[in-house]
Amino acid sequence: MNASFNHPVLIVVVPLLFAALCPIIGLIRRSLVVWLALFGTACTSFLALSLIGRVTPGNDLSYHLGGWEPPWGIEIRIDTFGLLMVCVISTLGILLVLYSWKYMERELPANRLSYYYTLLMLIYTAMLGFSITGDIFNMFVFMEIFAITSYALVAVTGEKRALRAAFKYLLMGATSSVCVLLAITFLYSVTGSLNMLDISNTLAELSPDYIRVALAALVFFITGFSVKAALFPVHVWLPEAHSIAPSPVSALLSALVIKMGVFGIFRILFTVYGPGFANETANWKSLNEVVAWAAALSILAGAAFAIAQKDLKLMIAYSSISHIGYIVLGICLLSYHGTAGGFYNVLAHAMGKASFFLVAGCFLYKKGFRRIEDLKGLGRSMPISSGAFALASLSVIGLPPSAGFIAKWNILWGCLDSRKYLFAGVVLLGSVLAAVYCLKVVYYLFFTGPRMRDTRIEEAPAAMYVPAALLSLGTLFFGIFSGLILPSLNSASRILMIR
Amino acid sequence: MSREAISILPILVIFMPWVSLIGAAVFGKRKPAAARAVYVGGTAATLLLIVPMFPRALEGLVIRKHLAGSGPGISLALRVDTMGFYFALLLAVMWLLAVIYSLGYIHGRQTRYYCFLALNFSFCLGVAFSANMFTLFVFYELMSLFTYPLIIHDETEVARKAGFKYLAYSIPAGAVLLAGVILQFFYGDTLAFLGRSTIHLSQVGKPILLVIFSIYMLGFGVKACIMPLHGWVPDAHPAAPAPASALLSGVILKVGIFGIVRVVYDVYGVELLEALGVSLWMLIVAGITIITASLFAMSQDDLKRRLAYSSVAQVSYIVLGLFLLSPAGAVGGLLHIAHHAFMKGTLFLCSGVIMHETGKRNISEMEGIGKKLPLTMGAFTVASLGMIGIPLTAGFITKWELGVGALQAHRPYFIAVLLISSLLNAVYFLPIVYAAFFKGDSKQAGFPRNETSKKMLVPVLAAGAFVIILGVFVTVPGLPYSLVKVVVGSVF
Amino acid sequence: MNWSRIFQNLNYAVSLLLFLMGLYTLAMKPNLIKKIMGLNILETSVFLFIVSIGMVDSGQAPVMAHGAAQQVVVNPIPQALILTGIVVAVSTTAVSLSLCIRIHQKYGSLDACEILGREVA
Repeated sequence: MNASFNHPVLIVVVPLLFAALCPIIGLIRRSLVVWLALFGTACTSFLALSLIGRVTPGNDLSYHLGGWEPPWGIEIRIDTFGLLMVCVISTLGILLVLYSWKYMERELPANRLSYYYTLLMLIYTAMLGFSITGDIFNMFVFMEIFAITSYALVAVTGEKRALRAAFKYLLMGATSSVCVLLAITFLYSVTGSLNMLDISNTLAELSPDYIRVALAALVFFITGFSVKAALFPVHVWLPEAHSIAPSPVSALLSALVIKMGVFGIFRILFTVYGPGFANETANWKSLNEVVAWAAALSILAGAAFAIAQKDLKLMIAYSSISHIGYIVLGICLLSYHGTAGGFYNVLAHAMGKASFFLVAGCFLYKKGFRRIEDLKGLGRSMPISSGAFALASLSVIGLPPSAGFIAKWNILWGCLDSRKYLFAGVVLLGSVLAAVYCLKVVYYLFFTGPRMRDTRIEEAPAAMYVPAALLSLGTLFFGIFSGLILPSLNSASRILMIR
Repeated sequence: MSREAISILPILVIFMPWVSLIGAAVFGKRKPAAARAVYVGGTAATLLLIVPMFPRALEGLVIRKHLAGSGPGISLALRVDTMGFYFALLLAVMWLLAVIYSLGYIHGRQTRYYCFLALNFSFCLGVAFSANMFTLFVFYELMSLFTYPLIIHDETEVARKAGFKYLAYSIPAGAVLLAGVILQFFYGDTLAFLGRSTIHLSQVGKPILLVIFSIYMLGFGVKACIMPLHGWVPDAHPAAPAPASALLSGVILKVGIFGIVRVVYDVYGVELLEALGVSLWMLIVAGITIITASLFAMSQDDLKRRLAYSSVAQVSYIVLGLFLLSPAGAVGGLLHIAHHAFMKGTLFLCSGVIMHETGKRNISEMEGIGKKLPLTMGAFTVASLGMIGIPLTAGFITKWELGVGALQAHRPYFIAVLLISSLLNAVYFLPIVYAAFFKGDSKQAGFPRNETSKKMLVPVLAAGAFVIILGVFVTVPGLPYSLVKVVVGSVF
Repeated sequence: MNWSRIFQNLNYAVSLLLFLMGLYTLAMKPNLIKKIMGLNILETSVFLFIVSIGMVDSGQAPVMAHGAAQQVVVNPIPQALILTGIVVAVSTTAVSLSLCIRIHQKYGSLDACEILGREVA
């Protein structure tokens, strides 16, 4: 590896630098901050995308922080999945900053805007770091950074209900972090290492005396990350936090932050423990089964709750629980198709759900509407936003030819592959339920309300509808051209299963 | 000439209707005249692009084009075989008639209407040109979803209810179909349509084959309105505007049938279906559908509702023909795709003329209407005779072939179903014709002789003419019989 | 019950006790400040646990002078970990306390039941 090749660490350092710059520049000229943030995310995105050719399945990109060899030093290790996360986070980052430009001007007093962008850059830093780090404690630190930042972001408007939602989120989030820390301690006490690969190697030949501790650690890890991912029994914090937060923050939380919990589950189950861990395959498999059941319940419960909602953003938030279920189910099917499908849904859901929240934000910004019933005929007065919503709902439902469909196809394929027909039924039922809640909104948007000629077009600012529309088109693009990503995800997952 | 050629033509055909779509979006409100020209032009151009594929189709050759793909089974590819060409040609002709008719019929929300008409056209063509079950499913689902705006076009309470019912049937059907596709891929060789069986009894075992078959029948059966999955049809047809009903009944129901055709010939194959013994069950279901739907049709006073039930019955003729698993039966079934499209298309377009000119929907109010609309009701009469199966009409050819097919398959009792159905058809169609021409006061003030506008009359008469042309010039190359012969010849 | 074994591992036992105490306080006390205290107790229990696993009997502080004689030292990594952990815990507490202040300003109460009850306000 070329020694001067520092992209992996720059992915974390650059947004951190911009996070620090934002309040300083904000003191000088407030209007510059948004451009600074845009520039920062663009740089990060460029760095992330430039890695695409360098990481191939089974051929991870490893970077030793400060030149310290692992397992002593912190290692940055980018595999295909990490790369996918990094690209999704950084690219979505640009669009969210762009969207925040107009939206947050109205939500926040001008003197606090620069702090908002600081938080935004900070949460990107943490999520990017979380996705690429190869060190388990480093992962915890990044997790805490994005967790604390997201509590703050939920409460950023200082609105009454937002504060309450943020506090609820904080209590559950902090408890789950303690679980993860405890699990790390357990794991360290039996393996004596913090590097993921090193732990994984030690675990493979763990002496039988320590197996119980390792299993306990696994359970604590899963519990902790499940809260962050908002899986079904521990999802209670999500609907309120995601629906009350300002729309770009909702989009950020739903599209990216909860994925971090999923990614944590994935890292622990597969990278750290792995199928062959110390001849405990049976236990490992049954734990997978348990998580898969929680995921299946999330799919159904999230969708059922979403149908019952009258508030648009609340509905979208519940739909996120359902989709997190898809991702986790795909990962826990123990079939490489399922894993690939799960990660494809990370991409599909990030785009689809972000677009949903951004469009909901457009409606709020322009009309102040939150309730689904108020959206009557908005398809005529706000055609681009509504169109983006309709297009994104294809992906959220999982109808062809959207990215959500490709994900669902692979997850279904994984269900068959591991002979879990019941889960296949759940996936299909989930998409029917998703059709109910998504099409209800599309119906109100386009097929009710006054006639076309009686309405004037009152679209939100371009800086708001363009990101939403781009994300919606993205779902379509990655649905048709799934060949760009899916094959490498497939082969990376296959390697994972063999190991 | 090689057996397979690669050509960009299928893609052009599929995207040609988007010209109409863009036309609607660009000119829609500002220049109505230009927009109208684009609607008709786009549809006609599609028809013109389909025609050059005719020579290859007649020889049973195949045109292929791969679009995109990745991962297991995920492959978007186009393939024009004779069956696909036949269906696409039918689609294009029907669509052209419907679009011209719509120019006179549709008055409100035109932009949306033409946009979705064009989109549906494109997706239906996609179904016809699909090279594998995955592509077919993609276009099928899109078509399924985008039919909704056509059904609720009027935005009345009735239309909304019908639309809701439509979605309540279609979306679960889509999920079921997805299960079928993925199971087929899991247990079969490939999703591609190769004109032969791609799933094998020896590898998979009978129970799973039966499960996949039933799932497919459930999934496609909703569109093909096999009883008891027909529930949405009698509501959706009357609610939609007349040209949309004509398309719904004429071709969109047939998309479901087209899926079944693919399942029968390109997934299972005739031998396997015989070995599985499912054909008798399907025949019984189809027979029950034919008789029951005809009985339902008799009790309807709303003309379009009666026509809708008649469609339910007629589409099952095709199912009947397919599952007789005999050459003549297949010819009859496949022919009926086109024949029924033109007959039912004529009838629906006529019902639209009646509604547009007199505002009447109910049959009991139509006495003497033939004096006001002689040409329209003339076409209606021709199509009704076709439905009954009078010689020299398209309907007779179908029934004859189906009858021969039933004998070939050694299931002569299904001829009785055909005869009873003809009788019932006569019972529910002839009274309308009789009332229209021979009842009522000829000097009634409400009914001066006053034909409708040319835009609507021409498609009506053209469709009516086709009913006779297809019944008389049966074997002329290019008409359905020549193409269906090739399809059936390659299978049996 | 083998009391001597528990007594030998007293720090683990205390850590467990603290963990349960913290969890109880966090879950059951309606007062938000008490919840935060519970959270802190929870975190402290984990810190105690971390230090305990790094403990080596009769170990010295891990300060390695150059050329010094070989000696038994405790594992320094857990200590480094809790330092980070404490920083994280403090920042979480800071955020939660500042949220508490804002909540008190808006709701006029720090009682979780009361705050939940005033949803519609």
